[in-house]
Amino acid sequence: MTDQALPLPQEEKQFSLAKDAFIRLVANRLAVVGMVLVAFLFFIAIFGPYLTPYDFLSQDLLSRNQAPSWQHWFGTDDLGRDILSRVIYGSRTAVIVGFSTVSFSLVIGLFMGALGGYFGGKVDAFVVWLIDITMSIPSLLLVIVINVSLKPPLVNWMDAQFVATGNEFYRNTIWVDFVLVFGSLALIKWPKAARIIRGQILSIRNKNYVLAAEALGVPTYKIVRRYVIPNAIGPIIVYISAALGEAMVLESSFSFLGVGVRPPIPSWGNMISDGLRIWQLYPHVLAAPAAVLAIVTIAFSFLGDGLNDALNPRQWK
Amino acid sequence: MTKLLEVNNLHTRFKVRNGYLHAVNGVSFSLDRGEMLGVVGESGCGKSVSMMSLIRLLPPAAEITDGEVLLEGEDITHASVNRVNAIRGSKVGMIFQDPMTSLNPFMKIGEQVIESIVFHKKLAKAEALKQAARYLKMVGISNAEHRLNEYPHQLSGGMRQRVMIAMALLNEPSLVIADEPTTALDVTIQAQIVELVKGLREKLNMSIIWITHDLSLLAGMVDRIMVMYGGYIVEEAVLDDIYKSPLHPYTIGLLKSIPSLKTEAGSRLPSIPGAPPNLFAEPTGCPFAPRCTYRVDRCTREVPALATVPGAEGDRPHRVACWVDMRGRGIAQ
Ligand SMILES: Nc1ncnc2c1ncn2[C@@H]1O[C@H](COP(=O)(O)OP(=O)(O)O)[C@@H](O)[C@H]1O
Ligand code: SF4
Ligand SMILES: [Mg+2]
Repeated sequence: MTDQALPLPQEEKQFSLAKDAFIRLVANRLAVVGMVLVAFLFFIAIFGPYLTPYDFLSQDLLSRNQAPSWQHWFGTDDLGRDILSRVIYGSRTAVIVGFSTVSFSLVIGLFMGALGGYFGGKVDAFVVWLIDITMSIPSLLLVIVINVSLKPPLVNWMDAQFVATGNEFYRNTIWVDFVLVFGSLALIKWPKAARIIRGQILSIRNKNYVLAAEALGVPTYKIVRRYVIPNAIGPIIVYISAALGEAMVLESSFSFLGVGVRPPIPSWGNMISDGLRIWQLYPHVLAAPAAVLAIVTIAFSFLGDGLNDALNPRQWK
Repeated sequence: MTKLLEVNNLHTRFKVRNGYLHAVNGVSFSLDRGEMLGVVGESGCGKSVSMMSLIRLLPPAAEITDGEVLLEGEDITHASVNRVNAIRGSKVGMIFQDPMTSLNPFMKIGEQVIESIVFHKKLAKAEALKQAARYLKMVGISNAEHRLNEYPHQLSGGMRQRVMIAMALLNEPSLVIADEPTTALDVTIQAQIVELVKGLREKLNMSIIWITHDLSLLAGMVDRIMVMYGGYIVEEAVLDDIYKSPLHPYTIGLLKSIPSLKTEAGSRLPSIPGAPPNLFAEPTGCPFAPRCTYRVDRCTREVPALATVPGAEGDRPHRVACWVDMRGRGIAQ
């Protein structure tokens, strides 16, 4: 009467889904490498600046462009600043930009994607249109336009506020750079999030297991919580991981081009840009930030792939 | 026997690009307690949509435009959404075609099976799991307590369909609707599931509506058969009458395309030429007319009503919707 019996696992433990997924994740070697590197990046971004041997701004004109040594592990740049300290501080820039960008784009993407996926019809057509339009704008163009048109008035406004109130906060226009970078990156990135979320909602709504639950009178809020969200969460977590990596690369490219985070605040991008001017003579000035950026990119992609497999029970063997 | 279900003049249509698709066009029938009804017809004839309409389990594009469904005397068609949910969770169980996709891959079998009774019957989780294990055993799943703790992908297709059956039965429904529950399974498992349902029906005394496109599957299983075509019931009779004295040309065509022991090896089975109508316009004549070899003038002008065959009245009348009297002209099987 029964089908062929399946081999039974040795032990029977009450594993939660998250725990099962985590076990799958740590069984994947590349994912572990990615996870460790990403964890290290976050650690450095948070605590690194307190541990650095040198201040990232302090110049030492007597020891410019020094090759790596015991005093300066990554060497010094053309102003005699310690490159290791700057790379470490640059990780903070990257992580701040990465997190804010991904959060902003996720909020917009969730809202737009859920709107389209849930209501369908004309609302959905509008969302899709907006996604297509946004995606068709070259991202660099968008950033430059935002930078040129919004930055001067913002800086002027802050100067005026400083004069009027005397509040020190308004004097630090570095935040303008950050806000503009987050803003434009979020504008570039939300359509991808929206697209993923919309697709997930559309496909899960038509799944047989949702129909089966409806047939048993399971109320809508439970269906959303236990059927729709868990099935949608995998691709969204994978998106977050990939988008963090991409946002950091984009921040670097904008900073490299001078429309992102500007010196003296270190960003891997503006460090690469600086290094590029003198790399024939002092390759280490370019090598350190470029290598770090490459490693971070690869780490996020390993982690993303690992998460993708781990969060999908259908792929469990 | 008392009436469990009464369906009167049910109409369901879908809003489509430029107009409507008329999927169910005035379906009326009733079902006794403990009775098993087979619903048969080619794919696209409105079997699923009409039976889903009973408990309003329809996609947003569908609307029930007319008719009523009475379950134990209660009007489901006009009940509130909450009430319909409560009815689904207590009186009606559904079994679907594709067991591979009918279970949420992210929920353990146990959690999923008990979800509805925990909500509707306010059972404690431990108690519900105990009951679930009992039902899993009843549907022939060995090692039930262990299975409760597994994810759907760890089970074979036949196993999953058993789980779906256990899940549908756990609410102790008085009506079970099985929509092609064996179509996606291979033949040996198909036979096992049929046997299982037959056994459970006797044990639990529930009414069953079994939907299939395969008339031969219903032999020896159901009490009564309803043949659907183009969103209409075209013939309805007790099992023996459908097999021995079918009166609708469509039923006759379906029967002729069943292989029998007499069919010579290598010979081609006669299938009905043509395809079911697309249902975009409400028909002005018999929906089967374009494919019917017995067609007369009247067939394309007026829709034949489902009427009781003279001499076959009674508790379970033989009803047919055809302008031509096919008595004595049917098939010789
Ligand atoms: N979601 C839907 N949207 C539009 N038309 C549908 C939908 N579901 C079913 N239909 C149409 O309704 C008719 C009846 O379908 P169905 O009841 O599923 O047929 P059956 O179960 O007999 O194979 C078919 O013409 C089908 O195309
Ligand atoms: S009504 Fe006419 S067309 Fe329809 S089944 Fe009967 S004979 Fe054929
Ligand atoms: Mg169907």
